[in-house]
Amino acid sequence: MQMSKHDPETDMEMNMTPMIDVVFLLIIFFMIITDLTQQELEQLVLPVAVEAVEDKPDKDERRPIVNIKQDGTIIVRREVIYTPEEDDYTRLKEYLVDMAQLMDKDTPEGLSVMVPDDPILIRADENTPFKMIQKIMELCGQKGIQIWKVELAASRPPDEGPGI
Amino acid sequence: MLGTSKRRRDRSAKRNEKAPQAEMEMTPMIDVTFLLLIFFMCTLQFRTLEGRLAAYLPKDTGPALRSALQPEPITIEVRVAATGLRVDPRTGVAWTGQGRFEFDGARELTYRVGPRQYTSPERAIARVGELHAQDPLRRIKLDARPGTTYADVIQVVDLATRVGLDGITFTGSSE
Repeated sequence: MQMSKHDPETDMEMNMTPMIDVVFLLIIFFMIITDLTQQELEQLVLPVAVEAVEDKPDKDERRPIVNIKQDGTIIVRREVIYTPEEDDYTRLKEYLVDMAQLMDKDTPEGLSVMVPDDPILIRADENTPFKMIQKIMELCGQKGIQIWKVELAASRPPDEGPGI
Repeated sequence: MLGTSKRRRDRSAKRNEKAPQAEMEMTPMIDVTFLLLIFFMCTLQFRTLEGRLAAYLPKDTGPALRSALQPEPITIEVRVAATGLRVDPRTGVAWTGQGRFEFDGARELTYRVGPRQYTSPERAIARVGELHAQDPLRRIKLDARPGTTYADVIQVVDLATRVGLDGITFTGSSE
């Protein structure tokens, strides 16, 4: 009887179930978070900017994210919606109209109409011709979209670390 | 023979009774689970390395209430003086049309603020800062001419943000 207390098998008396439950919940949480944020961010070589503000994933998914590759291909939600060969902006426009409708509206100073108050995130490869981005900016100003806040994605210098 | 096996069975039955959970090997599972946890935590951290710079588009679409009172904006014009060659970033030889390219060292940009022209973006931004300090109501417009890339624009916006100039708007047409 006395021996059984030191038996390695009886050391397992500690209840592991709650711990394993919590760990699994954490794993599921992180898996979901990673999946959501990866969905819209394409693998691109972004230009480096020291002053870039840390970008937190948008919880409401209200912010439109437009990825532009070096050749001008536009990818939204993992889907190619514009290629320079076809040069057809209708799908991008539809996406922006849909997103603009979801946004909170406000009347900024100097304007008399309600326009979306949320920004658009533009992510482009560092060598993308800027005219590709200007074209998207033009679309943002069109009737029915009128997004005027832009966030330009950049990577932060590697020595800076993730920041505080 | 028969006696020993019976005794063994008895002992194992006794064990099951005393600590039924202990029979399952939990250690490898917990190891793997923790590894997964650490993996997902790490991948989550990498993503926050990405940052953003705020900028604005001209709000000219609606009828402006006080357009007459708006002072003329300070325009910084980015122009490509020498295009440079496209090279493969891995080998450094001329780009073949496959994969990514980069521009070689021959690429040159000029920055024009009002009548003055600069080759260094820092000086151009310093000039914009001077003008903005004289009249803080003047907005800052960035005019990227054909041939400029996203990185060229980001560099200017980054420098402007560093000296405290925010609210940069974009101008120019893609045509």
